[in-house]
Amino acid sequence: MDELDLPQMKKEVESLKYQLAFKREKSSKTVTDLVKWIEDGVPDDPFLNPELMKNNPWVEKGKCVIL
Amino acid sequence: MGEMEQLRKEAESLKDQIIVARKGFADTTLQEAVAGTAVVSRVQLKTRKTLRGHLAKIYAMHWGAGLTQCVSASQDGKLIVWDTLSTNKVNAIPLKSSWVMTCAYAPSGNLVACGGLDNMCSIYNLKGKDGNVKVMRELASHTGYLSCCRFVSDSEIITSSGDCTCILWDIETGTEKTIFAGHLGDCMSLGVAPDFKSFISGACDYTAKHWDIRDGNCTHTLSGHESDVNAIGFFPNGNGILTGSDDATCKLYDLRSDQELITYQDATIMCGVTSLAPSLSGRLLLAGYDDFNVNIWDALKAERVGVLAGHDNRVSCIGVSSDGMACCTGSWDSFLKIWN
Repeated sequence: MDELDLPQMKKEVESLKYQLAFKREKSSKTVTDLVKWIEDGVPDDPFLNPELMKNNPWVEKGKCVIL
Repeated sequence: MGEMEQLRKEAESLKDQIIVARKGFADTTLQEAVAGTAVVSRVQLKTRKTLRGHLAKIYAMHWGAGLTQCVSASQDGKLIVWDTLSTNKVNAIPLKSSWVMTCAYAPSGNLVACGGLDNMCSIYNLKGKDGNVKVMRELASHTGYLSCCRFVSDSEIITSSGDCTCILWDIETGTEKTIFAGHLGDCMSLGVAPDFKSFISGACDYTAKHWDIRDGNCTHTLSGHESDVNAIGFFPNGNGILTGSDDATCKLYDLRSDQELITYQDATIMCGVTSLAPSLSGRLLLAGYDDFNVNIWDALKAERVGVLAGHDNRVSCIGVSSDGMACCTGSWDSFLKIWN
């Protein structure tokens, strides 16, 4: 990993101050929201619901095509 | 004390304060939140199409915003735009430099981009007047290889480089709008947020960073990995970051609380993660590994629920189409496969 020179080190300190100031939210809220968002979306996720794959465009419908 | 020494101490102090701040907002864990949730049942996806045509290792692929086209890049020196339903090649674009490492499809479908050891990002117009696909712009100012590129729009693209920086470019003028510096190692991959306001980068300094596209600031630095972060992607709702590393694990980070939420690992997996993509709902994480397989993880329970085995060499890239209906894998075996 690279060593920083003086101007880069100054920028790194500025960046860390900015990152420290980020308005964090409690994980009890954010994790609950994340889990809910996923669970709400699961019924529409094709990889988790075979019925959604009934009309799978990548699967050949019939064996022969009339040219 | 010299100025450098003072700054070093200040940086260490700030890092410690960030760790303390994070702890203050960690009043639950993902494991606790899903303690009562069952693991999803086994996920079995089949290969529906094999896209043949590249003559060497495939290094990258990217789905178009339309639901069935994708672009792939190979070190045979070609960029190929595929119609994945018919497996036809819509465009086969010869590249000036065959050492390509990344490719991207613009959300509009009008442009594709690629780059690699030439240190440049080349933009191609697919919808040119005479039907020929030509280089529209060559974005050159990185001093290291181009590891990844992603369009923000037809007029802006973000690149990540082995020179440890990411750049937001104005495609029209071919100039740099913003340079995102701060990583201490090669930047290996990037992802743009669903709302196009921010992006994330993974690097060989073992961290991932989250950046505001407009003001150029890094808002989060996410640590925890024990080796290079090769793959990165936004969680579908934009609030989480998924990373994949040479340390053989993937991780999920929560941006709102600034926490590492969970690690996807297994004692039997000892090779690096090369690529990753979440399913539409985010419940599944598909990750490509050096051992030629893709593992499918239940993202909430961190258990492996499926494997995509079919490539004869490293899986280098993976993507899920925008409607979640199909997954595409690209490999060093020169083939792409469509799975669902």
